[in-house]
Amino acid sequence: MRGLTKDYGDLSVLAPLDLDIEAGSFVSIIGPSGCGKTTLIRVLAGLEPASGGDVLVDDSPPAVARSNKRVAMVPQQPGLLPWRTVHANARLLLDVNRSANPAGAADPLDLLHEVGLGAFLDAYPHELSGGMLQRVALVRALALHAPLVVMDEPFAALDEITRAEMRVLLARLVEGRGATVLFVTHSIPEAVALSDRVLVSSARPSTMVADIDIDLPRPRPADVEDEPRFVELCAQVRHALHGGTR
Amino acid sequence: MSRRILAPVVGIIAFLGLWELFVRVFDVRAFVLRAPSRIVPYLWDNRSDYLAGAWVTGQHAVVGSTISLIVALLIGSAMAGSRFLELAGQPVLTLLQVTPFVAYIASVVLWLGAGTPPALFLVALVCLPAYTFATVDGMRGADADARELLASVDAARWEVLWRLRLPSAMPALFTAARYNAGLALIAAYLVEGGNFANEGLGAIGKRAAAFNEGDALWAAIFAMALLGTMALLAISLAQRVFMRWHVSQRPQRA
Repeated sequence: MRGLTKDYGDLSVLAPLDLDIEAGSFVSIIGPSGCGKTTLIRVLAGLEPASGGDVLVDDSPPAVARSNKRVAMVPQQPGLLPWRTVHANARLLLDVNRSANPAGAADPLDLLHEVGLGAFLDAYPHELSGGMLQRVALVRALALHAPLVVMDEPFAALDEITRAEMRVLLARLVEGRGATVLFVTHSIPEAVALSDRVLVSSARPSTMVADIDIDLPRPRPADVEDEPRFVELCAQVRHALHGGTR
Repeated sequence: MSRRILAPVVGIIAFLGLWELFVRVFDVRAFVLRAPSRIVPYLWDNRSDYLAGAWVTGQHAVVGSTISLIVALLIGSAMAGSRFLELAGQPVLTLLQVTPFVAYIASVVLWLGAGTPPALFLVALVCLPAYTFATVDGMRGADADARELLASVDAARWEVLWRLRLPSAMPALFTAARYNAGLALIAAYLVEGGNFANEGLGAIGKRAAAFNEGDALWAAIFAMALLGTMALLAISLAQRVFMRWHVSQRPQRA
């Protein structure tokens, strides 16, 4: 993915916006509720047309990227199908529109083992905890081997302890995979711990009020949050966030 | 598991016991209401006639409602896909539902001739509204996140229909099936009484009523009840097989 530029005026949900995201990087967008982050994700995923400007995902418009299965989504709710087992749910995105499956796409069996669901392959969603469900949703997206993964507050519904575990797990899964990740969140520590870059968005109409490089070295240890540099960066994001809303 | 079989049996025996008691205590005369102790032996003595009749009626009901289900899935998916079609179809289906079908059985027989065709047609027709409404509601109710997810990889319409919308409609369809089971049997019974074929429990019941044979009539009613019970049992079994994942099929706590 070469990156995307975006520059369009919507019904003031998204103010004209220029954005380049480097291939293979992990970028978080953080901002107040209802600031259009979800709209941005939906436009990128090709679920909604941009009302102006150009958006390129991997050198092609989102609609094309979508029909070529180049964008993998992790929604806020896991959205698992209750009649499919864990294994079948993880395969869902590969099972539809098969002709467009990317070359690297493979059965997500290994990934399920990697996230600790190896013993639950034949379990149904109602037998799993919230954190396990969201892990299936992560695997479902990553199994697609799409160059762009968009995540819309995937951990918002989880409790704080599970959330911290998921953070570490996601960092491990994404590391060295080469995919670009666009991660929408409300949590400052989450954004800083995971990202190469944090974009701070203003309230509607959405503009990016800050673009902060997270220069913490990778791979990041699980206790990265105790490092002084981490605390500093969190403070920086927080200031940008409050400056932006005022 | 044994409770699943035991409980209904206890329920039925208790009901029949109360019935018998009522007839004996109030000394109800036989032409008003017969006691089970008189109906059951009659049914047993003439079991070959009633088995043959039940076989025909059962076939009419099963084949007719299967046709109905297939047509309802087609109409229902179209209606779930288009608000206009839904609004256009709703009053027609409601009309079908509230019209007393006894009134036009003779017309259907005149139109389709004697025997099986009018029975199948009427059964299919009366089951159509409930199946169609269930299809529309079930498909509309498909999880929004899952819909969006499938859209994000450009799943084809039929893929969304097959993998998401149809399974989503299953709980509602099973509810409709329970409701329709009785309706289908009644429709089959009534057509058999007027389709000049002299087949099925409906024909036996009609003849019994015409000749004032109370025992034969009540035996037909009992046979119908047995058929209905078997139909509901079959639906429950199918539900256990196809909807193991659903809340309604899980053991209940407390």
